[in-house]
Amino acid sequence: MENAIQVSDVVKAYRSSAGEFIALDHLSLGIAPGEFVAVVGRSGSGKTTLLNLLAGIDRSTSGTVRVAAADLGSLSESGLAAWRGRNVGLVFQFFQLLPTLTVIENVMLPMDFAKKIPVGDRRDRAQDLLERVGVGDQADKIPATLSGGQQQRAAIARALANDPPILLADEPTGNLDSTTAAAVLELFADLNGDGQTIVVVTHERDIRSIVGREVTLVDGRIVTDESASVGVAE
Amino acid sequence: MTNLLSVKLLRDLRASWSRFLMMAIAIAVSLTAFGGVLFAWAASGRETRGAYASTEPASATILLDQSVDSERMATIAAEVSRRPGVIEATGRTQFTGEVEVNGQPREIPLQVFVARPSDPMRMAKFFMEKRSWPPSAGELFIGRDSLPLLGVTIGDTLTVETPSGEVVELRVADTVYDPSLSPSPQEQTGRAYLSSAVLDASEEPAAWDQLKIQVAGPDRAAPSRDRDAIVVVASDVGEWLERVHGLAIREIQVPTPYAHPHQWQADALLGSLLAGGAAALLLSTMLVANMLNNLFTQQIPQIGIMKAIGARSARIGRLYLVMTLLVAVGATLLALGPAILLGRVAVGNFLGFLGIEPTSLAPPSWTYLVVVAVGLGLPPLMALIPLVKAGRTTVRAAIDHHGLGSKPSAAAGLLARLSRTRRLDRGLLMALRNTIRRPSRFLLSVGLLATAGSVFVAGMSLSTGVEAITEEQKQQRNWDVDVQLARPAAAPIATVLEAVPNVSRVEGFNVAETGVAGPGEIPVTRTYPDQGHGRISVTAIPVDTTTFTPPKLLEGRWLNAGETGAVVLNQITRKNTVPDIHAGDTVQLILGGATTTWHVVGLAEEREGGGGGVYTTAEGFADATGQPQRVNQLRITTTGHDEQTRQAVAEAIEENLTEAGIEVRSAASISRSEAISAGHLGPVILILLGIALPLGVVGAIGLASTMAANILDRTREFGVMHAIGARPKAVRRIVVAEGVFLAITSCLVAVIPALTLTAVLGAGLGNLFFSAPLPFRVSLISVAIWLALVILGAVLATDAAATRASRLTVREALAYL
Repeated sequence: MENAIQVSDVVKAYRSSAGEFIALDHLSLGIAPGEFVAVVGRSGSGKTTLLNLLAGIDRSTSGTVRVAAADLGSLSESGLAAWRGRNVGLVFQFFQLLPTLTVIENVMLPMDFAKKIPVGDRRDRAQDLLERVGVGDQADKIPATLSGGQQQRAAIARALANDPPILLADEPTGNLDSTTAAAVLELFADLNGDGQTIVVVTHERDIRSIVGREVTLVDGRIVTDESASVGVAE
Repeated sequence: MTNLLSVKLLRDLRASWSRFLMMAIAIAVSLTAFGGVLFAWAASGRETRGAYASTEPASATILLDQSVDSERMATIAAEVSRRPGVIEATGRTQFTGEVEVNGQPREIPLQVFVARPSDPMRMAKFFMEKRSWPPSAGELFIGRDSLPLLGVTIGDTLTVETPSGEVVELRVADTVYDPSLSPSPQEQTGRAYLSSAVLDASEEPAAWDQLKIQVAGPDRAAPSRDRDAIVVVASDVGEWLERVHGLAIREIQVPTPYAHPHQWQADALLGSLLAGGAAALLLSTMLVANMLNNLFTQQIPQIGIMKAIGARSARIGRLYLVMTLLVAVGATLLALGPAILLGRVAVGNFLGFLGIEPTSLAPPSWTYLVVVAVGLGLPPLMALIPLVKAGRTTVRAAIDHHGLGSKPSAAAGLLARLSRTRRLDRGLLMALRNTIRRPSRFLLSVGLLATAGSVFVAGMSLSTGVEAITEEQKQQRNWDVDVQLARPAAAPIATVLEAVPNVSRVEGFNVAETGVAGPGEIPVTRTYPDQGHGRISVTAIPVDTTTFTPPKLLEGRWLNAGETGAVVLNQITRKNTVPDIHAGDTVQLILGGATTTWHVVGLAEEREGGGGGVYTTAEGFADATGQPQRVNQLRITTTGHDEQTRQAVAEAIEENLTEAGIEVRSAASISRSEAISAGHLGPVILILLGIALPLGVVGAIGLASTMAANILDRTREFGVMHAIGARPKAVRRIVVAEGVFLAITSCLVAVIPALTLTAVLGAGLGNLFFSAPLPFRVSLISVAIWLALVILGAVLATDAAATRASRLTVREALAYL
């Protein structure tokens, strides 16, 4: 079976006045459907760069990135947006809910963009997703009135709006207190239990107990790739 | 656009309603000015053309040097009407003289137009209010706008002196509407319409010296609108009259076909206002583009999120396009009503200025389409670049966006070094750095304010320049009483009058109507039927004059004392009669029926209405006409310069001259000339203020919006400042100082453009209205007003925005997306 994510010999370099900076250095990584992978590492190790490449937010300098059966290097910006809407759910550290839309409207918006879910079903689905992540009763409020944890749950519901095969999260608990963070990670675990492929970039030290696999980056390279059950180092 | 995006759009509009309202007001103000002037321009143009055309104006008036009797004129007119290219011909005449109303003399002269009682009135028509042509015996008709000027009512008796010198009393039987003439009050001349039967009944019958013709256009049925073609046919008729009838032709008058005598002035007036309105509109759309750009920049994180969850660039572009269009629609709806109202008021005023009675004040339907198209189309067009830029923002760029530029500019680097100076206030330095932190926004804001400031100051300065002309003309009129004699008198009469009480000096000039032509040609002028607009006369200047200031020379030299055979032409006369002539060339002047040849020694620059257009010495004039030096105009300087002394002297001079057997056409204080001058300059000042004010309003809104955007942009930053202990007062001080820095910078930047604009527009408008550039003047009052307005506006705008920002809690500020 084809990997949900296949990163092959990817280099990502940034040019600046100080010279060239290699964020990812000939990195290869394969993630099978249904895996729950944590990408960990210190600041500047390249983990967010990797996530941005997987989400089609950034492009590699060389190498190929194949996600959900699409070669992201061959897609235009507009093509990437459409692909993202259907195949990837993104969760950010600062939730990034649109401030002028209600919580449920934030969840329905990706459905409007992707047109994957029939119009008549969108509100019900959004409500279901909010119920599933535990903020169903907050559906008609605007994001600013919600707590951080509630906003992040709403953001996860939004990421699931189009039932994407892959969920990508960048420091999803970085802005939450430990109790709320644990609850959010628990939610990710539940989703993975339902077969969702999840990649989480995180600083959390206790995540190994939840994820199935932990990839550690140092200076843009994978230094360890440990399966929670197998514990194989690459 | 999806329903949810529509919801987002509406809520975004609601969230930033004050900003959108400011955008809509900025466009609405300028669109009102532009639309109002466009409506006025189109409607007044239609009404003026229609009214003037309804008089079936003569294509040309051929002035005979010697009048002919009624029978001969009728024969000539009949023959001429059969000439090739001529549709119609008729004989007319006119004279101007003093008038008494119910036995009371008036200072305003009366211009009397004479036609045969049997004139079919198919050409050069005028419209009687109640009666029809001709007036009964012992009656005349009077121009409607002459009634208040002369203080006349229907039924009054006017005492008029005919060209033969006979005094007749005529009852005012009806009023006449004559849209072919400029309004009486502007020319300070009353107008009356008389049947030749009245003159025929006197000792000396009417004498005719004007042959009016209508020249056929290309279709042979309608009159021609091609002046060159008219000149060809009229010159052919003139030569035929000379050859076949042995008549000397003094001049052929061909005014611009189908153009009211003040049409150019109205066109220039409304055209300038339209340009000012368009400039204000352009400035306001630039302002809106700037404000939208700020808004889009503020929305970059949201754009990033939308893209991250699947929105394409085109969809986001459409969202903001609709946002821009909604502003445009709101502004257009806001502007339409006031623009229509403004247009109607302006049409009424302009047509009043032209002496035209409108048939309708409604603008043509196409003008509504233009205003709607401009209102709806221009804002999106101007916002296109920021709109496309916003739509194309990548997710990555959105993630990297932190609200303000992180790259320090060169100026910021310099300011950073300045901060090492110990005595400088940290808060002010920070404000200064913040002002230039986003160079593009800073430049756009400064540019916007500087443009508005430049145009405001230039507009007001031009107005000062126009006022300077009046002042200049007033200063040049260093005499007190103007006397016009019916016929030239011997020059020594002037010195005799110095014995009259309260007279300190009398100068005599001989001003004679003339035609100017190249060798062997009949003079062709652009003179209108009122014999005023486009009229050329030669002024013979006395050797010891103190009341005549030689105009500025463009070419050659001024006249030498006592010189003969030499003339100086002004640039208006050259343009209208002999455009290719230069100093050193030869020119022909028709004087008293004789063709005289002159050497052009110089070309001078005069403003419209400044003089007759041709100057020679008194000796030169006498030599050319073969007569002793004579005068027909007297300039009298009185011992006191008050109006009472002037009036008393005018009356005494007239009495003295009459007793000496010299017929006086008019003797009046120079205040009448000043009234004519003011009548012509008033509208120009109105234009300039009309251009400057909308721009001032747009500029003020621009400043407020820029500062508000700057504050909104840095909400998170203020949160941080509060978090680290800054008091709201300190934040407000920094922000207000930023606004003041920006305002002062814009004023400094505006200096050179304002001076350049004053010079360039002064040349353009001056040439348009006065045939010479306006004097260069800088209105210091307008500079002070603008400086105060901008700084006060900066303080008020930034203070309001900073107060809002200071009320945010740290949490709200940091969570601001």
